[in-house]
Amino acid sequence: MSQRPLELILARNLMSALSTPAFLVDEGGVLIFYNEAAGMLLGKRFEELGTVGPEEWGSLFGPLDADGKPIPYDELPLVVAVRNDRPAHANFKIRSASGSLQMVEASAFPILTAHGSRGAIAVFWPASSNGGAHR
Amino acid sequence: MRVKLWGTRGSVPSPGPETIRYGGNTSCVGITLSDGSLLALDAGTGIRNLGISLPPELTRLHILLTHLHLDHIQGLVFFAPAFRAQTEIVIWGPASPEASLRDRIARYISAPLSPVEVRELPCDVSFRHTPETEWEIGPARIRAASVAHRGPTLGYRIDDGESSLAYIPDHEPALGADIDALEEDWISGFALARDASLLIHDGQYADDEYPDHIGWGHSSLSHALSFARRSGAERTVLFHHDPLHSDERLDRLGVEARKHWVELGGKAEAVELGSEGSTYELPVRVPATAKAT
Ligand SMILES: [Zn+2]
Ligand SMILES: [Zn+2]
Repeated sequence: MSQRPLELILARNLMSALSTPAFLVDEGGVLIFYNEAAGMLLGKRFEELGTVGPEEWGSLFGPLDADGKPIPYDELPLVVAVRNDRPAHANFKIRSASGSLQMVEASAFPILTAHGSRGAIAVFWPASSNGGAHR
Repeated sequence: MRVKLWGTRGSVPSPGPETIRYGGNTSCVGITLSDGSLLALDAGTGIRNLGISLPPELTRLHILLTHLHLDHIQGLVFFAPAFRAQTEIVIWGPASPEASLRDRIARYISAPLSPVEVRELPCDVSFRHTPETEWEIGPARIRAASVAHRGPTLGYRIDDGESSLAYIPDHEPALGADIDALEEDWISGFALARDASLLIHDGQYADDEYPDHIGWGHSSLSHALSFARRSGAERTVLFHHDPLHSDERLDRLGVEARKHWVELGGKAEAVELGSEGSTYELPVRVPATAKAT
């Protein structure tokens, strides 16, 4: 496998140390990492899942709008961030591995470098929790 | 490929009786490729002596900068070929969204820090951002990749025939990561160093010094050796010595490094601490009978 760009390596190292649930995609939109906090939100550790191709990972988590309708992949903040090189934010429901639905807020931002985009990071937050770290 | 260490010190020049053997000049490595073309890796104060050693009739050379910290560019204005009109010098370095390589270097080569301006250098100098893909200089294929340090920083790999040199003088691959546990493609600088004939790598801190320097952009001895071992480099030279490390201290670190290397399953003679003036012919073939010193 080819070497990951440094910006993704550093992003993963930072995310690994955080209790903020966070997801990382590469420039092609492949889900290449999420941290333990995100794993708790989803009910599945990244190590159990491994990398997931673009288009595929969206459906792993639901995601559903407030009315319970599936949100198109293209509209997910992480996808907007990696495709359009700009930050994006949304509220939606995700389905954990156990099947339970949870409302979350997600903010995504692009990882841009002197050589162009490397990918994007999204942080998730349970919409019901009001401040305080997710531990 | 012939490799000579002209400056092995990190951070700041450290001349004096205590650093006479490993040297006090900052980072610079001279490379003579198989066709005779000349490269300099970094332009710390070591490049001054490299410049003095070069024949005045030299017409062209390349300088590959890993980054623009002063210990890697300070020698530029004391490099004799830069003051000869017949010399063409191509300076390669990392791109930055903030300013061109030329403009960033000109912050040092300009008043009041320098008596000359870039435009006043008599040589024919040009500045190039390193491409993301491999490129060629003479018979060599050159690759640059960003590595974990502070600010935009590159490591280099130079392949010439069967020989390969990896040069990563300022590198903290273990920052926020366990390099023994990570998959290879997630280790900063790994692809540059993979199976290199010679790896010249940051070894600035002793293991007991590292905890006070996390995030400073450098490696502990153990981290450097883990990186080297996993990369499969045939021979490793630890480099960018801390200015506080005397020759005696470095001798002790060298003993520790070889012991640790053997524990990792390597041969003691395949690891050493870089000394100013040392030369290496690549590919290196470590004689089976060589004794550890
Ligand atoms: Zn340095
Ligand atoms: Zn540096």
